Amino acid sequence: MEASATTRLHQEVEASIGRLSTVLGWGAGYDPLHMTPLFVRSPEDIARLVWNPLCVQNLTGYLVKSPGVQPPEEGKKIGICVRGCDSRSLVALIQEKLISRENLYIIGIPCRGTVDIRRLMNESGLSNIRSVRIEKDLLIVDDANGAHNLPLERFLARRCLRCRHPNPVIHDVLLDEPVTPRTTAEDAYRDVESLEAQSLDQRRAFWSVELDRCLRCYACRNACPLCICQNRCIAETRDPRWLTQRVNLPEKFLYHFIHALHLAGRCTECGECERVCPMEIPVTLIKEKLNQITRDLLHYEAGLDPEAVPPLLTFNPAEAGI
Amino acid sequence: MSKQVFIPRDSLNQALERLSSKMNVWVPAASGSNKCGSEFVPYRPDLIPLLNRQTTTPPKAVVFPQVETLLSYEYTKDPDNPSRVKIQLDDTSAGSPTLIFGARPCDARGFLLFDQVFTRGPFTDKYYRDRRENSYFATLVCLEWDSACFCSSVGSGPTDMEGSDLRVTPLKDGYLVEALNERAEPILSLMEGDVPTDAQQQDARKLQEEASRQRVGNVDLTRSATDFKGRFEDKAYWRAMVSQCLSCGVCTFVCPTCYCFSITDEMQGLKGERLRSWDSCMFFQYTLEASGHNPRPTRFERYRNRVGHKFSFIPEKYNGMIGCCGCGRCIRSCPVSIDIRRVVENLKENACVCA
Ligand code: SF4
Ligand code: SF4
Ligand code: SF4
Ligand code: SF4
Repeated sequence: MEASATTRLHQEVEASIGRLSTVLGWGAGYDPLHMTPLFVRSPEDIARLVWNPLCVQNLTGYLVKSPGVQPPEEGKKIGICVRGCDSRSLVALIQEKLISRENLYIIGIPCRGTVDIRRLMNESGLSNIRSVRIEKDLLIVDDANGAHNLPLERFLARRCLRCRHPNPVIHDVLLDEPVTPRTTAEDAYRDVESLEAQSLDQRRAFWSVELDRCLRCYACRNACPLCICQNRCIAETRDPRWLTQRVNLPEKFLYHFIHALHLAGRCTECGECERVCPMEIPVTLIKEKLNQITRDLLHYEAGLDPEAVPPLLTFNPAEAGI
Repeated sequence: MSKQVFIPRDSLNQALERLSSKMNVWVPAASGSNKCGSEFVPYRPDLIPLLNRQTTTPPKAVVFPQVETLLSYEYTKDPDNPSRVKIQLDDTSAGSPTLIFGARPCDARGFLLFDQVFTRGPFTDKYYRDRRENSYFATLVCLEWDSACFCSSVGSGPTDMEGSDLRVTPLKDGYLVEALNERAEPILSLMEGDVPTDAQQQDARKLQEEASRQRVGNVDLTRSATDFKGRFEDKAYWRAMVSQCLSCGVCTFVCPTCYCFSITDEMQGLKGERLRSWDSCMFFQYTLEASGHNPRPTRFERYRNRVGHKFSFIPEKYNGMIGCCGCGRCIRSCPVSIDIRRVVENLKENACVCA
């Protein structure tokens, strides 16, 4: 499965690279389990492109964060590989006019889910990986202790387990047959619901323990394709200085809730903020709660329709009580 | 006084308990019941020390806290002459004896660089010095390296005890703990371990010898200072190496040798505190000047600084010492899996630097 998907990707990019200035995809990282974003700038780079369930990074942020991908030269477009979740980030960025659809060549990849690599390594006691093969729903990993046959399904990331749009919602070409979504809109918020079933004290304890471990490294913010204030984030600006440098809970709380509030009704639940956290803090949960409210109150799901206006980016002057 | 003891596995907590009645004791433990990673935390009786893996974050914060108060101050007005303002400063610092039990060679080694910066220059940083002089490292002979580790590439290795006070060799049913210097001997006797049997001593030697023969990391990164200068202005190189970088603080905050800090005053009313906090060269604000100009405006200049500092400026300033202990944390925790080994290795003039 991996070989053929990767081969199809190579063929697709070979066919289109003449019209593209850069193609964003994934390639092998420091060991066979870790992939890294790959910027394909010339035909020689194509052979290094990979698509498999270890391709975990959302690449859409590179289109908007400075210095982003160079603007396409004379009549060329920027190619980008997107899974279902990534395609929703693109839609949100297009809605907000942060990128323009015309400049993009979108290679859509129907996605069966990506791996939570940290959990995979931890629970299977993997180290010093020699090789990885993917056969159907099995990950066959060869490491210092021999070969391990690991069912992919057991190690899927939380974001993938609750994914309801595995097929790119926007694309110029699709690499595979569409896949069946794993979750329905009703089930998507069960992690939030089970947290909310706890008492206020328990929830306070939960977030205190989790956020206390936050390093304020801002990987969650920098990896978020829709966190676009960049160097002007209130967590760091010195003038005005909204937050102190202290690493007490109130500072961390404020930072995370500002991130979440600025993403309310915009967050597409790609889960990058949670995936990149070195301290394994489930920060996407906060945004999921806000999206659940957006769904119930405003009947809106982010990143599906490029023509739609996100509810918090507009207002109706006739609305009562405004 | 015996210079080595054997601590049976099931008595480790008792030994740590005895130590913690006399000093602060930090040990690696799981970050939470549903977490994969581990961290150094203050010992408490119900804690299960996790000694078979590297921690996510090094014990850096034990000796160099993420935030510390350098001084507190208070302004008072003179009631007889209100235009006169008096200021009272308190800059006391104090370290209290602290043991970091279960560090790894890379963890302890990080502080060798800190020592250069904070205590060997024209000025001594008393805040650091006071904690450092009171810190003791009981360091494991490391048997658990992974594909991100490269301590042998930077002149260290899995049995390197430079910067450590006690050596801990994990055996089948316990730990052989040896004092490596005089100041560690009282700690050893506090642990009240058994007298090691000949077999235990032999097993420990064998293990140490085997581990010391291992080469962790297959490149040599100790001679890159000149190569770095050659690449400094090579924009294409940095673009090819680190286009993926998110310019976050992960790599610097999990690094045992990154010591850059910021100083800010936090005032409320007439009272305030001067804080020192970790900074990161990957942050935009790090070199932002008051004029608004930033000499390192993008991730490319920032990542270049990180590499240059560790593999070029530090070795030149501190007699060949590399500003990296090869722990691999920046590789393992990087959200986009950037491999600093590759970036340094490819500095060489003829290296292939395809994207
Ligand atoms: S807040 Fe998190 S889940 Fe939402 S768009 Fe940003 S990175 Fe993705
Ligand atoms: S990535 Fe994790 S540790 Fe870093 S700021 Fe975000 S929540 Fe905190
Ligand atoms: S190298 Fe990785 S960890 Fe460091 S700033 Fe870049 S993305 Fe963050
Ligand atoms: S630069 Fe990376 S490998 Fe070197 S000491 Fe720092 S975190 Fe460890």
